[in-house]
Amino acid sequence: MALETIDLNGSESIFSIGNKLGFNTILPSKVTIWKLRCNNPMRKTFVSNNIKLQEFESLIKITSEMAKYLYPYIRAIISSKDNFEQEPELWNDFQNRFTELIQSRFNTDSIRVKNLVDHQLSSELYLKILITLSLCISDNGYSRLKTTLLNI
Amino acid sequence: MLQNKYKFNQSSVSLEIIGLPDYSKDDGDKTISIISQWKLSILNRPEIEGSVDHLKSIISAFYKYSISLLLDQEKSIETSLIDIKPDRKGGHILFLKSTKPEVDPLKIVIGNAEFADIINCLDQLKDSKNIKYDFNILIPDLNSKIYKLNDRKISYKVIIPPILAILSIATLSLISINFYEENNNLENKVSFDIITYY
Repeated sequence: MALETIDLNGSESIFSIGNKLGFNTILPSKVTIWKLRCNNPMRKTFVSNNIKLQEFESLIKITSEMAKYLYPYIRAIISSKDNFEQEPELWNDFQNRFTELIQSRFNTDSIRVKNLVDHQLSSELYLKILITLSLCISDNGYSRLKTTLLNI
Repeated sequence: MLQNKYKFNQSSVSLEIIGLPDYSKDDGDKTISIISQWKLSILNRPEIEGSVDHLKSIISAFYKYSISLLLDQEKSIETSLIDIKPDRKGGHILFLKSTKPEVDPLKIVIGNAEFADIINCLDQLKDSKNIKYDFNILIPDLNSKIYKLNDRKISYKVIIPPILAILSIATLSLISINFYEENNNLENKVSFDIITYY
C-alpha cells in the first residue's frame, strides 16, 4: 500500500509487473492479487486464505521490482523526512495520502488501525516501510525483504 | 598494464573501483579480480578511500547494519576499521578508522536516504559481472538468519504456552488439594450418633 501511495495507478502496476516477470500462472488476474491482499486481517474485506510459498515469493519479487521503478520517489520522501525542518512538504503529502488509503481500506474500528492512522504514533513505522522498500531494489535486496517479512 | 575502472552510481553516492584482471584465472581484459584502489563519494561529505581490507570491512559492516536496521534491532556495528551507529536524530554515524595510529577516526553523519544509496551502490558492485570478487563471504547469510530467528519464534510459540498451562494446572491442583483436605477434615469431625428410643 505504501507503493500504491506513491504510484497512483499502483494496483494496475502490480499486475503488469507480475506479467512482465512471468508470474501469469501464479497470479493470473487482478482478482487473484486482490484475494491475496485480503489476507491482511486489518482490511475491511479480510478473508483468511493460505498463501502458497510461490505466491508469497512472487509478491516479494513484484514489490522489489516496483520499488526499483519508484526508487527516486521513495528516496525523495525519505530525504524529506531526514530534512523535515527544511523541506517537510513531500513527507507530509506522503503521510496524508498513506493515511487516507489506510482509512479507506482498513477496518477503522480496530485499535491497531486507529493507531496506524495516528501520525504521532505511526510516522516511524511509515519511515521504516519506506526504508525497507529502498533497500530491496536489487537481487540481494529481494533476500533482504524476504528476511524482514519472515521475521516481523 | 592498463588498469580497469568501474563506477557504480546511486543518486547521491558513487563508488569507484580500480583494479586489474587476474590472467592466471583466465580473466578477460575488462575484468577486475585484483582491486588496487577504491573510492566512495557521498554528496557533501568527505571522500572515503583506502585499502582492499577497508573496502571489505565497509561492505561487511554496511550489510550487517542494514539487516539489523530492517529487523528493528538497531545494533551498532563495530570493527577494527569502521563503526556504524544509529544517530539520535534518526540518521547514522560512521566512524572510519585509519590503520595509522596517529590519524584520528573520521566521523561522518548520513541520513536514511544516503544510507539506502550506499547499500544500493554496494549491491550494484556485488552484482557486477566485471568485478570478479567473492562478496558473498562478506554478506550475512540471510537464509541461516531466517531459520535461526524462526526457530527462536517457534521455540517461544511452542514451548511457552504448554509450560504456562502446566504451571497453571499445578497451581490450581495444589490449591484444590488443600481445599479438599480441609473439607475432608470437617467431614471427619462430624459424627453421627444413632440413638434409638424404645
